[in-house]
Order: sequence, then C-alpha cells, then structure tokens
Amino acid sequence: MSLPISRLAALSAASVAALVLLRAASFVPVHDVRSDSAWVRLSWSARPERIEHCRRLSDAELAERPAHMRLRLECEGRFARYGLQLMVDGAVVLVDTVQGGGLRNDRPMHVLRETPLTPGTRAVRVVLVRLDTLSTPDAESEGVATPESDAVLGDRGAREREERQRRSEEGIPPQLSLDTTVTLGAGRVLLVTYDGEKRALATRTGGS
Amino acid sequence: MRSLERLALRLVRALDSACHRLLGWRYNPLHQSGSIAVALLTLLILTGLYLLVVYRVSAPWESVARLQADPWIGRWMRGVHRYASDALVVAVAAHVLRMFAQARGWGARTLAWTSGVLLLFLLLISGWTGFVMVWDTFGAQLAMAGARLFDALPILSEPVGRTFAGDREIPSAFFFLNLFLHVALPLGAGVGIWLHVSRIARPTLLPPRPLMWGIGLGLLALALFVPAPLPPEADPFHYTATVPLNLFYAFWLPLASSLPVWAAWAGAGATLGVALAIPRLTRRPREGSWSPSVVDPRLCTGCEQCPKDCPWEAITMRARDDDRPTLVAHVDPALCVSCGICAGSCPPMGVGPAHRTGRDQLVDIRALARDVLSVAGAPQVVAICCENAAPTHLDAVRREGAVVQTVTCSGNLHSSVVELALRGGASGVLVFSCPPRDCRGREGPKWLTERMFNGRDAELQERVDRRRVATATMVVGDLAHTLATLREFRASLAPLGSGGAVDLTELDVECESGAALVEAEER
Ligand code: SF4
Ligand code: SF4
Repeated sequence: MSLPISRLAALSAASVAALVLLRAASFVPVHDVRSDSAWVRLSWSARPERIEHCRRLSDAELAERPAHMRLRLECEGRFARYGLQLMVDGAVVLVDTVQGGGLRNDRPMHVLRETPLTPGTRAVRVVLVRLDTLSTPDAESEGVATPESDAVLGDRGAREREERQRRSEEGIPPQLSLDTTVTLGAGRVLLVTYDGEKRALATRTGGS
Repeated sequence: MRSLERLALRLVRALDSACHRLLGWRYNPLHQSGSIAVALLTLLILTGLYLLVVYRVSAPWESVARLQADPWIGRWMRGVHRYASDALVVAVAAHVLRMFAQARGWGARTLAWTSGVLLLFLLLISGWTGFVMVWDTFGAQLAMAGARLFDALPILSEPVGRTFAGDREIPSAFFFLNLFLHVALPLGAGVGIWLHVSRIARPTLLPPRPLMWGIGLGLLALALFVPAPLPPEADPFHYTATVPLNLFYAFWLPLASSLPVWAAWAGAGATLGVALAIPRLTRRPREGSWSPSVVDPRLCTGCEQCPKDCPWEAITMRARDDDRPTLVAHVDPALCVSCGICAGSCPPMGVGPAHRTGRDQLVDIRALARDVLSVAGAPQVVAICCENAAPTHLDAVRREGAVVQTVTCSGNLHSSVVELALRGGASGVLVFSCPPRDCRGREGPKWLTERMFNGRDAELQERVDRRRVATATMVVGDLAHTLATLREFRASLAPLGSGGAVDLTELDVECESGAALVEAEER
C-alpha cells in the first residue's frame, strides 16, 4: 500500500489524535465530592449480648435428658438491639438502631456508617447503648457453681458455666461511649471502631 | 427501535466514510471491530502474563509501583496492557453499534448477540477487577462503589464496605479473589467467543496483519511516550480531591454514585434487560427481504454447493422423498438469516429466499434488457450494486451513464444474470459490492469473485467474455473511487467493440431448462 504524502500525513494525525483521545479518556481527573468534607466513619463488628429467659432444671429433669443434652439452664431468648448515636459539637448528627446480622440476628453486629463534617476541630461523641434489658440473672447465669449442679453434671456443669461466661464476655458491653476532639482537614476521615480486647470504642485517623 | 437503528446506521456510515478517506476500505478498523477485539484480547493475555509474574497480592500497590519504576519492561508492559484494555472497549462498542445499526442481532443471530452481551459483561467485570487489583485511588473508589451496590442486597450479613473501612488490613484474599477473576474471566471469554461465532461458517478471528500491527505498535508507542501513570495508593483515611477515572470501564461511576442505590441497580438492570431484549425488539417478520431461503426440491440436483457457500451453516443435505438418486438441500429457517448467498450458488437456481432466487433475478434482468438496454442508443454498462454498499452513490453512477440494477447482496447475484445482461445488450457488467469485511451476508464479495472468475459454482459460463465483466468495491465516503472504477471499466471496454444483443430466448432456454423440466413434470 503506497499512500500519497497528504493522506499519510492525515492518517498519522488521525492516529495520534485517536491515541491521545484514548489516553485522555483513560485518565479523566474527576473531582471526588467526598474530599470536600471531613468524615466520621463508624465501623466495627461485635457480638451483641443475648437477652435470655432462663429456667434452672432440677436434677430429676436433667436425668431424663440424654447425657449430651444436659444443660442446667434452659434458655430462650434473642440478641439485644443497640441504640447508636453520633454527636458532633453537641449536635446529634446520627441516631440509629443496630442489631446482629442474619435472619435471626444471631450473627455479629456490623456497623458501617459515614457522616460528613465541616472540616476543622470538632468534638465528637459516639454512644452505643443496649436497648433491651437482660432477664434477671440467677446464680448459674453469672457463672457461679452450686453443689447441686456439680453433683449431677460433673465436668459438663463446669464447661457449661465456662461457655456462658465466654459468651457473655464476647458480647459487646451494654453501654459504650467515646468522646474525642479532633482536627480534620477536607477529605480526612476519623475512624471510630470497637476494640474487642479493650472492650471499648477507639479512634484512628490515617497514619496513627 | 427502527428509527434508533436508522440513526445508528447514519452514524456508522459517517464514521465509515471518515475511515475510508483516511485508510481506504481495506483497512477500515470499523469493519473488523470484532476481530480487532479478539486481537486485543490476545495482546492483553500476553502482556498480562508478564504482569502476573510481578504482581503480589500481599502488596498490590507496591508491586505495581515496582513495575512502574522499571523503565525497560515493566512500565511499557503495564502501559500496553492498560491501553489495550481501553481499546478493547472501543472495539467492542464499535462492533455492537455496527451490528445494531445493520439489524444483525435477531433471528439466527440471537445467540451471537446474547453471547456478545454476556462477553461484554465479562469484559467489564474483568476490567473492574484489574483496576481494583492495583489498589490506587481509582481502584479503591471502584471497589467502594461496588461494595455500596452489593451491600444493598440482602446477601452478606457483613457489609463488603467494611473491608475497606480502615479498622483492619485488607485481607490478601480480597486481592487474590480479584486476581483470580481478572485471570479466569478472560480465559472464560474464550468459551464465550466460541459460542459467539458458533453459528457461522469460517469465522474471521483476526484483522488484516497491517491493521493488527498498526494498532499494536500504536498502543506500544502510546505506552512508551505517554506512560500510564500510577495514581497514589488508596488511603482509607483520606479522600483525595481528584481521582483519575477510566471512562471506558467506569463511565457509569459518577452517575451511580450520585443516585440512590436502588436507582443504580434499576438502571443497571434496565440496561442489561434492554441489551438482552434487542433480538426481540429488532426482529422482523420473516417476509419480503427477511424471508428465509427455500429449496425447490424439483430443481435441486444435490450438487452440495449451497451448504458449502452458506455463511450461516443453515443448509444441510438430506435424503430425497422421491425416487431420484441424489440428496436434496434443506434450509433450516431458524438458522437462515436471509442473506441470499445460496441463490448465487445454485446452478439450477433451486434455492434462495422468496423473490430473490436466480430465477427471480433473471426475470428482473430480462425486464431491464427489454425496457432499458434494448431501447438505449448505444450499448450501456450495467452496474449491479449491492444496495447496502453506498446508496448515495447510485444516482452519481446513473449520471455517469451506467444502468443501475440493485441486489440485496452481491453474493446473491447469479452468474446467469451477468450473462443475460451482456446478451441483452450491455457492453459490460460491473458488480459493486460492499467491502468484504463489511458484507452483511459475510461472504458475498468473496463468493461473487470466485463465481465470476474462478469457476466456483454457479460459475459464469466459459462462453462469456470475461473482459466485459468486473467486480469492484463501493464504499461510503469515496464516490471518486466508485466513479473512477466505472470510468476505468468503460475505457477498458472501448477496444472490445459493442458486444451486441442476442436473442434472449436462447439463454432463457439454457438457464431455465431445469424449470421447464419441472413444469413438464407437473403437467
Ligand atoms: S439465505 Fe441461503 S445462504 Fe443465506 S443463511 Fe439462508 S440458507 Fe444460508
Ligand atoms: S446448490 Fe442448488 S442444486 Fe446444489 S444442493 Fe443446493 S439447492 Fe441443490
């Protein structure tokens, strides 16, 4: 294919233009509106507490059960709901109710909320309060052994108490709050999360 | 939908016209957008193999930054990969537009259209995962937008968005999943491409070499001289003021981010729904120029030429239900796209869509010979033109003194028509086709040339003076070429003298002896 000079020039110009267009459309600088505000991001996963009505089984009732189903406390209940509140400079900017995931709300409670703030120095307060009350705990639900339970259940009694203890420790405390004052520039994010080891809310801003 | 098709066709013609002026019809990339897409996919796989070796799921951005810092291979390899993926979207978009504009997405082509939509969907997903893998500001924005959409669905109890919230490291498994999809989907696309072309005979999977090399070298030059930049690493604690958006893969992002999630899902669902419904929305009643081909078993001699020529493998040979010893052709109307190529392939003119068989064409050309050629003062050139090639050129061709006869595709043309035109008084016959890679019948120009000059059935009889017959390409945007071809052809006829008309009944008897037999049989 031999092309006349003028056509070759036009072809080269068109090819360069096509490539420049391709390059331009590949990297179009778009303003991210989120960068205009500062942000508070609430993000954590934690187990909600369980609200249970428990009945203590007698030794006779326990003896009727198959060995692997013997539990001193027979409980029915559900997982607690929590009220979440975010205040900035004393004004409430977010109120919400959160509960465990899954159809029966028996999964951990996942929180992910983002709220824009005016950049600058802000007093941020986050409160998470259990909305449902627990049933009156009896000795066993508090994990205290009784001679009666140990006599019938032996090792299983101890394991049951340990399990209940572990579950109650895994659950998020009935009330959590965090107060902090931060200076956030535009586009910066204050992360509020739940520290499972300290059982408390904690904050992070990038690089810390 | 028809007016949308017409609008798309005007756009396609305008773009074609510009490309023809610049590149000539042989290398018009818009005619081979599908095969260019396959070539680009191959290029993506080749460059991707290198990037795969360097990429680390445990340190995604850092590993890409290392690539970027290598000026010898890494930077341009990444650049070519990136730009080829963009060009792939352009090629696919051009292909979709052309198929829609030319009403090539319904009937027997439904499978090709539907698999094409799914391939496009796979391409976009694969592209998104590629951007997310880098984990720069754009990749993170894409991931967060995806998470926002997913988290609105009641599928996962933990929001996907928490992965990027910054309260923990993003697990390597997330990047591994992206890498897996990014690699697996293009490989899976191989199956999709097979499905896409499964209904057609002799698919053309690669563009002409000069075009292929031209595109490849163009992308390489772009990657070398304007390397693809690497945006900053995503920081969950900082939204940067500008994000370098890739329009090819994330054209929807600004809109989807500003809409409520349900509206974004509704928009995506509606787009997919309309795309999948195109075969239904654009289908035509199977009549007129859309009527399927039919075989007249009385004329079929079982020569097996039409199954060889049919570009959609719609014809099979079957046992006859009479006592003749041959097989008989059978057209599956569900596979037939009414291209009419078979009409030109059948020596006894026993197959073709209604009103377009060789016999119907003979009736038309006989009328032309009687009404036009025989009354003209001097022998005329007959220009037989594909009606899809460049409709706006036909008047100019007429003004140039040729007698114009149109056909739905040059591959429909039966060679006897050419002979009959010459015997009817034409000084020569010039057949204008679409560019071969833009033929709606896929193989019209190819079979036409074979039949006229290379003895393929139904071949032009030896008695016909080949100097009086020519084939040429007619393209939008290049009227000068059309007219120059006509003038050149006419000039080549001058030394041959007038040719001259003969009694057409003689030819009628030869061409229609089969039909006469049938009629006698019927009587
Ligand atoms: S018109 Fe003839 S060649 Fe075309 S698809 Fe139908 S059977 Fe095949
Ligand atoms: S080309 Fe004609 S004669 Fe030959 S198989 Fe087909 S229909 Fe029959």
